[in-house]
Amino acid sequence: MVLIGSVPVGLAAPVVSGLASSQLDPELKGQVLIEELNCAACHSGTPSLAAQSKKAPRLSEVGSRVNPAYLEAFIRDPHGIKPGTTMPDVMTQSGKQEKAELATSLTHFLLSLKKNEFSPQAPDAVAAGQGKLLFHSRGCAACHSPRDDKGTELLAKTSVPLGALDKKYSFKSLTDFLRQPHASRPSGRMPDLRLNGHDIERIAHFLLQDTRVPGSLGYTLYRGQVWEGLESDKVKAERAGYVKDFALASLGNIGHHTAIQYDGWMNIANPGRHTFYLTMNGGSLLIDGKQIIRQDPRDRRGVMQLEGAADLAAGWRKIRLTYFHTGHAPKFAFEMEGPKLARQPVPSSMLSISNEAIPVFEPLKVDAELAARGREQFGQLGCANCHDDLRIPANPGPAFAKLDAGRGCLGEAPGRWPHFDLTAEQRGWIVKAMPHAEQPQLTDKQRIDKTLVSFNCIACHERTGLGGIAPERNALFTGTQPALGDQGRLPPPLSHVGAKLKPEWIAEVLLHGKRQREYLDASMPQFGEANVGHLVELFGKVDELETVVVPKVSNMKESKDAGYEMIGTTGLSCIACHEFNGQKSGEVAALDIGHVTERLKKNWFNLYMRQPSRFHPTVIMPSYWPGGQSTRPNILGGDSAQQIEALWTYLEDGMRAKKPAGLSRQSNELRVSDVTELCRGRSPVGYRGIGVGYPERINLAFDSGEMALRQLWKGEFANVDMGSFHPRGTDSISFPPGIPFHRLEALEDNWPYKGKTNHPFPQDHGYQFRGYHLDAQRRPTFLFHYGAIAVEDYFEDVHDKDGKPYFKRTLRFETPAEQTPVYFRAAAGKKITRQSERNFGIDTLQLRVTSEHKGITRDGDPGEVLIPLTLPKGRSTLTLEYQW
Amino acid sequence: MVNSRFIPALLAVAISPFLHAEEDLGAMWGTAAEEAKYYPIVNIPIPSSVPMRTGGFEVLPDGRLAVGTRRGDIYFIKGAFDTPPKPEYHLFASGQDEIFALSWKDGALTSISWGEVTRISDTDGDGIADNYDTLTNNWGYAEGHEFAFGSKHDPEGNIWVALGLSGSYESHNLFRGWAVKVTPDGKMIPVCSGLRSPGGVGANAEGAMFVVESQGPWNGCCSLKHLKQGAFLGHPASYNWYPYVPEMKTPAVSPNGDSRMGVEKKRVKELVPPAVRFPYIKMGRSISGFQLNQTGGKFGPFDNQLFLGDYTLSIILRATTERINGVWQGACYPFREGLASGIMNVEFSPTGQLIAGGFTTNTQWPVRGTEPFALQRIDWNGVVPFEIKEINIRKDGFLITFTKPVDKQVAARTDAYQITTYTHVYDGSYGSPEVDQTTPRVTKAEPSADGLSVMVRLDKITEDHIHDFDLAKITSRDGLPLVHKKAYYTVNEIPED
Repeated sequence: MVLIGSVPVGLAAPVVSGLASSQLDPELKGQVLIEELNCAACHSGTPSLAAQSKKAPRLSEVGSRVNPAYLEAFIRDPHGIKPGTTMPDVMTQSGKQEKAELATSLTHFLLSLKKNEFSPQAPDAVAAGQGKLLFHSRGCAACHSPRDDKGTELLAKTSVPLGALDKKYSFKSLTDFLRQPHASRPSGRMPDLRLNGHDIERIAHFLLQDTRVPGSLGYTLYRGQVWEGLESDKVKAERAGYVKDFALASLGNIGHHTAIQYDGWMNIANPGRHTFYLTMNGGSLLIDGKQIIRQDPRDRRGVMQLEGAADLAAGWRKIRLTYFHTGHAPKFAFEMEGPKLARQPVPSSMLSISNEAIPVFEPLKVDAELAARGREQFGQLGCANCHDDLRIPANPGPAFAKLDAGRGCLGEAPGRWPHFDLTAEQRGWIVKAMPHAEQPQLTDKQRIDKTLVSFNCIACHERTGLGGIAPERNALFTGTQPALGDQGRLPPPLSHVGAKLKPEWIAEVLLHGKRQREYLDASMPQFGEANVGHLVELFGKVDELETVVVPKVSNMKESKDAGYEMIGTTGLSCIACHEFNGQKSGEVAALDIGHVTERLKKNWFNLYMRQPSRFHPTVIMPSYWPGGQSTRPNILGGDSAQQIEALWTYLEDGMRAKKPAGLSRQSNELRVSDVTELCRGRSPVGYRGIGVGYPERINLAFDSGEMALRQLWKGEFANVDMGSFHPRGTDSISFPPGIPFHRLEALEDNWPYKGKTNHPFPQDHGYQFRGYHLDAQRRPTFLFHYGAIAVEDYFEDVHDKDGKPYFKRTLRFETPAEQTPVYFRAAAGKKITRQSERNFGIDTLQLRVTSEHKGITRDGDPGEVLIPLTLPKGRSTLTLEYQW
Repeated sequence: MVNSRFIPALLAVAISPFLHAEEDLGAMWGTAAEEAKYYPIVNIPIPSSVPMRTGGFEVLPDGRLAVGTRRGDIYFIKGAFDTPPKPEYHLFASGQDEIFALSWKDGALTSISWGEVTRISDTDGDGIADNYDTLTNNWGYAEGHEFAFGSKHDPEGNIWVALGLSGSYESHNLFRGWAVKVTPDGKMIPVCSGLRSPGGVGANAEGAMFVVESQGPWNGCCSLKHLKQGAFLGHPASYNWYPYVPEMKTPAVSPNGDSRMGVEKKRVKELVPPAVRFPYIKMGRSISGFQLNQTGGKFGPFDNQLFLGDYTLSIILRATTERINGVWQGACYPFREGLASGIMNVEFSPTGQLIAGGFTTNTQWPVRGTEPFALQRIDWNGVVPFEIKEINIRKDGFLITFTKPVDKQVAARTDAYQITTYTHVYDGSYGSPEVDQTTPRVTKAEPSADGLSVMVRLDKITEDHIHDFDLAKITSRDGLPLVHKKAYYTVNEIPED
């Protein structure tokens, strides 16, 4: 195995990339280094220092994660193999031979810990291309070096090193790591970027694109209007990899309008004339770059028989075959014949992805004796001091207080101590910090600064007086909303963040992955609550801005109305740029103002409104109160403070805030605010569905064809389109089709519903839909007739004392004469439980009868809760509650 | 996502997969510049927040324009008729299925959406609808393409509704392919069968109710059909619902294919032939909504005529009707081209402007207009164009009336009139070529004394044929050519005297 040899002087020093770009004072830089190099692991410090220090990677599963050859080489020469690593060289005293032996036995020991499943996989060049974009835009390249087209690291000196990943990881082990980086690196310096599985795979393919494994043939699969040529912009490469032969079946199912380009080498045993036979609609064959066969694809024709010949010398010949899976009844066959070679499909044995031998990965066979020796050495060399997850006794060094500058780790001479290859500057910082390192007397501001540097938050976020995005990395930050300027691509600054954001919101973003700025390409990584959770409180303590005196609101309704007016298009038209509760009205989609009061501290909101440019020098948002003067003298008497307060009181209603005037209805997502929303048409409950979304964030679907309640769900309401809607949200409960009232002759009779062919149903059962009317909150009361009975069906969204919403349903009847008994089907589902004569469980739904009526249950598919009704002449009422 | 249910004038898409947006939509008439001298098109701006995919229009008593949309919203627009338009949009109602017609009566707006007829009103006076009274939802509605167009209230207060076939080919659900009448108290009365993919529904000046039909099986081209009680209008897929109409009997015979309307109407006594046929592409490809011009001259010289929008070609057509031997027939004329989107419906404003609105589904059905949706107005600027005003049939020829006096010398020449006739194959396959061409000889052309009309006598009028007029040679007294030289008269009956 070829590994990187010597390292240029100076590059071997450990890189803590936040240090390079920050403006920390040297003593604090020293403290950062002490923690990042985990000095406390040997020089028993206080528990708090140990807790803050960066732990070494967990090794119990390293055998499945890391190629054993890499592991051995890295142990032998960490700074040569991965310049910039914080892992020290612990074997400088040993000779070359001894080092090699130590590395071997340590590797055997580490691989003896568990059954290892390491095995390299072939890279997918198509995914790698996509991964390259993701690596540079999603945030990886904020800490790790960006790479040019050849894969050369462009900013290696100031970046957290990765080393030769294709030598280290397999595709599987790298994707496993990226999915859960904190499983093996608990200190969170490598954050979880919360990328989806596909993106993680693409990035892994990019980072491992130089992986070499043996294979017969490389292929790239294209899809689209392939007959226009593979260069067409209507054609997209879909995937790439290795395949054993030219048989289509080897690629799995491939769709129509696909093209495959095969690349590889063919070993010619006997020189001479070779003939090639292709059955295909179109494609081409090149050998050693020379075209042997070419037939342009035609989508309106079938398969052709093609033939070509070439004189080939013995040995490896480069072959490229392009096949278009186009036209009528597409088919593909590739055969060849030559001297002492009968006509046949090209066998795998003649093919290779390279004309050079690629060794097969051989898993290391663990030697028990070597492993046992390695275990001892692991303790003796002090490996166990840092890699403490293996529970091997540590080999402690001198106590912190007894350390001397210029000696041991801090000296230049080799010795039994670990060597970090520190630069003189780094040593200087550490020496400065050493006297207080165990119990550093840091101010809250310094504690913030130290964390922001250790976790390199400042690689993405500016913080006044500390640092921010390095100029050479600025262009890496991109976004999907160019109209927003820099704010649409750069992560927000952290200056004054504690004075700006509510601590609950900081916690959401920092610890729970909440994201507001969907237009930023960079993700907000997660570093782990144990590692950065303290920032939530510290930001609030440290960041201070002057206090604005907020005026008293005497008439809350007037204030909210003024806020409503200002946000809408007839006021300040905030929604022209800002999203409002997820709905975009203008061309730009600036930050959603529906979450303003949830996120921001009111004081900061006041300061920002008065002068946005104070917080973002390049902000696009204009000032509506320049110099404290309102631009809208007709609202609230032109009182600036009252106007800003009015925005706040209005926005405080959050999702419930009345939809501002001019809010776009273009969005397919229909959201509910302060009043009920309806939509109708084709839906999961039929073509005559009526969807109703209530402000308590519970929703229902009513079938106006059968006049029955058909679905309940919680949360977001629905996606709507022309004449159709589809429920969103969660916790959906569906009821089967069927009319609500029926006179069952016997309890074993079927409950009627409209089949495909009973065309006059349900009118033939006496039903007639009569529409609905809306109350002041626009909640509908459905109206229909069942024979002589006029029915009103009304749902009210209410909540219990815990704030949990549910439906109260009121059915009002009016009849000209007493009715013969009739059953009302209140609910139906798989699992029905009768808790009492008025309480029923239907799957996850709890149904209560709150009027005098009593229910019965029926088994069957579905099971049902029926309420027998004997309706008197005149008016009567049935009330129910649906909670789930 | 583009809704796939509505594809006017049938699924040609499904039939010819190679049809796409670049398809040749037929030559333009090439008259837009000339038309604009009399009938300029005015854009009514739409705010970006409003998804204005027009389905139906109504003018409210307070002078606002009501627009029902495919999204199921109803907007009230103030200032739409101002010059220039200063529209203010107010959302009156929302949450409906696709709305294809609106009609105001007695303090409520009746909307005809795909699933029902709804009387919508604002009872608490806050300007927003709160009562949605369903008059009926008793027709079948369970498959794609089962849309519903409706009329204004007739004098008895009924709304007439035309119900498209299931998937535009078959009739799987109750009364698909029928026209029904919905009474003010919500009774649904089936009127006639035999529709395929109907468009707008409305009355002519005499109060007879008509529906637009689209080209397709059993329909050689788009047409205007009379909704005669008990009639069968040509497409037999909807025969299966007669058993659900106690007062009607299933027609004794079904139409034969590969025949002619003129032959089959004698076999199937319920069959009523289309009153006005619109030769395909020359005169529209998917005619949609239409309105009767009763502006009392405010829209120029075409009072009491029908104005029809076309979805595919983004044009407006004109039609006239007359009753001959008890059967409706008439002519159609080009009127205005070059609108911005596919046209779904039209409406006259009180000041005599023609409002046209619609949308473009660029992925499914080719449309000449390019805007995703538009609201436009055709204003008459007071200058009378030189046009064929109307053609009426006589025993031995046609009386052609013009909007301005003709040059009588030219008009008296028989060779000033190029007239051909043709008809369509009446068959269950899709559309029809023009067949059975004849070229009648003009025997005499007699201009009236005032020069406003010419009696053109022919050696033969052919029943069941479209009579295709080309009057390119005719000029006005002041030497102007016709703005549109073409007109097409559908002869169902020939008067006896």
